[in-house]
Amino acid sequence: MSSDELVYRRVLRAPRDLVWQCLTEPAELAQFWGPRGMTTPLEGIVVELRAGGRFETLMVGDHGSHRMVATFTEVVPPERLAWIEAASGVHTTGTLTDVGDGGTEVVIHQRHVPEPMRAPEARAGFLTSLDKLEEHLARLTEPT
Amino acid sequence: MAVTLDDERLDAMFAALADRTRRDIVARLSRGEATVKELAEPYGMSLQAVSQHIGVLERSGLVSRGRYRQTRPCRLEPEVLEAAVSWIEESRRAWAERMDRLEAHLVRLQDGEKR
Repeated sequence: MSSDELVYRRVLRAPRDLVWQCLTEPAELAQFWGPRGMTTPLEGIVVELRAGGRFETLMVGDHGSHRMVATFTEVVPPERLAWIEAASGVHTTGTLTDVGDGGTEVVIHQRHVPEPMRAPEARAGFLTSLDKLEEHLARLTEPT
Repeated sequence: MAVTLDDERLDAMFAALADRTRRDIVARLSRGEATVKELAEPYGMSLQAVSQHIGVLERSGLVSRGRYRQTRPCRLEPEVLEAAVSWIEESRRAWAERMDRLEAHLVRLQDGEKR
């Protein structure tokens, strides 16, 4: 039976802060984000690292380009990062866990959010505990 | 990576599959067609309630109903179901590859090499 959810796990040999940095800083994203055969030029990346902020990447290949336009729904450094792509309704959550010994487990959870839940008012409910997030965000150092 | 399938169709399908009873109905129809009455039997549910679930599945394109028999048996449309599976598989592959590249990038970073 098929499900409408995807879970992908990987343990990376790197400290959690470094993995977080790679997933959230444009200069790092440019190095690995684009799918095979495509590049993700730095100037095409927008990361507004806060809930409600923009997350956009332009992926360029020989046969055209693809722009991902998403909005962060959750930013809890260095543990959790979530965003929703408005056009496709795909919601992605990345969870980083320090597994010791200099390793970090990354779990990507992706699901398709039906159209009715994509309306702004529905999304407000979708972004649970925004208040708590604000506290986290206040402590964030401004990404440059 | 890019979801190029018809978004409206995918939405309807994922909304339809978000319900446990409807997933169960789909699983049962994967073994062959059945009437609404037959589908209703295992559930403590009225025919009307089951009909509503089937209506949702029909609008999603996952299930179609026979036109010419009075019982109008329900059948699964496998290619629509495959569209959901292929979205997930495509996405899984994209993430696996992305993590491969991230892994390589992390090795470079930690070796202190200049990028």
